[in-house]
Amino acid sequence: MPESTPRRSLWTRLTGQSPFVVTLFALVLGLVVGAIVIITTTAPVLNAWRGFFSGWGAPGHALKVTADNVGAAYRIMFTGSVFSPATLWHAITTGQGWSNALTPISETLTYATPLTIASIGVGIAFQTGIFNIGANGQAMMGGIAGAYVGTLIHLPTVLHLPFTLLAGIAGGVLAGSVPGLLKAYTGAHEVIVTLMFNYVVSAILLYTLLSTALQAPGQQNDIARTLDPSAQLAPLFGTASGLRVNYGLVIAALVVLFAWWFLERSSLGFEFRVTGANPQAARASGINAKAVIILVFAISGGLAGLAGVTELAGFYKTLDGGFLVGNAGIGFTAITVSLLGRNKPIGIVWASLLFAALGVGGRAMQAATGIPLDLATVIQSAVVLFVATPVLVKEIFRLRTSPTAALQLATKGWGS
Amino acid sequence: MSLDVTTQTTTAAPRIPVGRTRGIGVIMLAIGLFTALVFGVGSGFGAHSSLTFNPVSLTNAPWHVGTLTLLTAWSNIVLGVAIVALGLDVVARLPRRGVMARFGVVAVLFFVALLLWAARTTGPSQINFVNLTAILIGSSALAMVLIFGSLSGVMCERAGVVNIAIEGQFIGGAFVGSMVASTTHSFIYAAIVGALIGGALGLVLAFLSLRYLSDQIIVGVVLVTMLGSLSSYLNLQVFTPFPQYNTGNLAPNLPIPLLYKIPVIGPVFFDQTGFFYLMLILVGLVSFALFKTRWGLRVRAVGEHPQAAASVGIKVIGVRYANVIMGGAIAGIGGVAFMASQGQFQPGYTSGLGYIALAALIFGRWRPSGAVVASVLFGLSVYLADNLQTYQVPVPTEILGMFPYVITIAVVSGLIGRVRPPAADGLPYRRD
Repeated sequence: MPESTPRRSLWTRLTGQSPFVVTLFALVLGLVVGAIVIITTTAPVLNAWRGFFSGWGAPGHALKVTADNVGAAYRIMFTGSVFSPATLWHAITTGQGWSNALTPISETLTYATPLTIASIGVGIAFQTGIFNIGANGQAMMGGIAGAYVGTLIHLPTVLHLPFTLLAGIAGGVLAGSVPGLLKAYTGAHEVIVTLMFNYVVSAILLYTLLSTALQAPGQQNDIARTLDPSAQLAPLFGTASGLRVNYGLVIAALVVLFAWWFLERSSLGFEFRVTGANPQAARASGINAKAVIILVFAISGGLAGLAGVTELAGFYKTLDGGFLVGNAGIGFTAITVSLLGRNKPIGIVWASLLFAALGVGGRAMQAATGIPLDLATVIQSAVVLFVATPVLVKEIFRLRTSPTAALQLATKGWGS
Repeated sequence: MSLDVTTQTTTAAPRIPVGRTRGIGVIMLAIGLFTALVFGVGSGFGAHSSLTFNPVSLTNAPWHVGTLTLLTAWSNIVLGVAIVALGLDVVARLPRRGVMARFGVVAVLFFVALLLWAARTTGPSQINFVNLTAILIGSSALAMVLIFGSLSGVMCERAGVVNIAIEGQFIGGAFVGSMVASTTHSFIYAAIVGALIGGALGLVLAFLSLRYLSDQIIVGVVLVTMLGSLSSYLNLQVFTPFPQYNTGNLAPNLPIPLLYKIPVIGPVFFDQTGFFYLMLILVGLVSFALFKTRWGLRVRAVGEHPQAAASVGIKVIGVRYANVIMGGAIAGIGGVAFMASQGQFQPGYTSGLGYIALAALIFGRWRPSGAVVASVLFGLSVYLADNLQTYQVPVPTEILGMFPYVITIAVVSGLIGRVRPPAADGLPYRRD
């Protein structure tokens, strides 16, 4: 090491350019936003603050009530989604109750499975400079196609499960190729097309559930037949364990490996990234822009479709009108997860684990403290807002800002 | 991040090949033939359809008009022939302008034919008349909300900022609107607070995207998610324990004397809530300001070519801030208006109206007048999709529900006419 470089403390090195640090601080800020929401809306906390000036002990009491409520909420969020030290200790010392101790982490993994797959699809598109906002619709299409194969065709498991998953991928590719082809051949902006296509697919979903053979016999509502057992993804540790984590986890792991290889090692992935980094340079070096757009939408849509069918075959088993509709939709969460993971496969794995844990923990929090589950989504969106504005995070925490950081998230408009 | 496509050279929009216009003409021909054959001949020559013109609510009823009974088959054949004529006109002359307008007319004629077919006597339906006035009143409430939303979009996008958070501003406006209207019993206060919350959300969008150059689409999408979950959270924490804060907020109608008595038109235009009249005023105001004033010229310059605007001394960032906040305020009032047409707040009940408003903005070519026409068309289609079940016709209404989205996809891909957004729409701008 040359002598001229000034020695930097660990703190300054940590707080320098590392995107990881920004993400971490964004998470802290997101939890702060969540805490503010809890404090301003929970009756006991508000009552304690109302009596702030009522006596000498009152301010301390108010602070204590606040800390207790916020602390309880976040503690249960953790124990409900990762593990609870007490039950784990009980399982280790007595050898019993393992299922109980592992349920939280199993739930988190179960929720993270389709989320990871869909987010990788969105991330690959992002890396190519394509904004796929339609993962919701593509996953729904995958779910519809998978439900057709999984309920109306009867085969042994060895054939049925792969066919169901392939049908899901095909459905996603189909839904993804609409914006892909339109963008490649007519220049239609993919954000508008995919955004609108989400709702088109919702309508298709309702139609197939209400008016086709997919509807469960004797049903008037939008509920499909249940998937054949041969088309379902079995629990990883057997049904007897009571843990819901299923073989979809293996699929997700394979997808992560594929995405890493594709983006980092394959020549097509390289072309994708070049197109994303600099479309002019890509065109100048002979990369077929149209083919890249169509392919990236096919891959992104196919992964979203796989996510949809994995969720169906591993978790819901029955398609219904609530599948992926509205704000709970996996597609919009996938966008935020992908951003949080900086569109890199490994980053996306961590981000989707975090988001799944927030969701699962939120459910536990709602059951235990009565604070609504939606708080988890508020925290998630706050985190992503902060991640999308790294400069703001750096200003809040007095981190060093690099002059280029400001333009990192600059985009293209409708017009391009 | 891989989204750093900073300076896209915006080339002139490619001329739409003739083949696409011809294609849409052929689609119009097909719709016309379908109308004439299925809705016309297919309904049998003995069937009748009745049109009534009296609103369901008779408090401010217009002058009474009798029922109009039509022969279903022949009326639908006439409608089908009219659609075919419009299609033939497009195929034969390949007009450069007005294809979208013609398609809008075709869509309306098709809706009328569908209604006549659905309500024919000796048909499958239990309701054997079409209450034209009731349908127009019902869809005008939806169209009003869509117009608020698309006007908000016009304000933001003409200045070069993509406002995808209209849905979030609707939700925010509806939530606080319900709270304020319940506590103060004044819709004026509700509208003011709704405008404030919408403007605040606009400020967040502007702050993050103008000062920190965040991706406008990402910020918009995340704001919608955040408002959706926050409103659902607050609904459980506030409205569930205190239902008195979220009830009885149906805005009263303010009939305009005499005018409301005109049949059909009267109840639709002159017997509406204050929000409807406010919407009409805003449409005129935005239209005039954007295209007839110095201010509007500056806004449009900022949206088309911010560098050029800056070089003549226009404060680009300032104009954008002002417009995004005003646009957010308009969408916030739209949320209050929607709440006032439903009577209360419910989480998730805007169900994508903000995105339909965005679609209307695009279909309306980023113009207030176009956005109004598109909102009316989309409002009608959404209303019919939601309410055709009451006619118990064997038509999958989900297909009708797709209409705004499919039409918008067709429009942005240049299948129907051509749309061109403001050139700098969504592009980040730096002062240097």
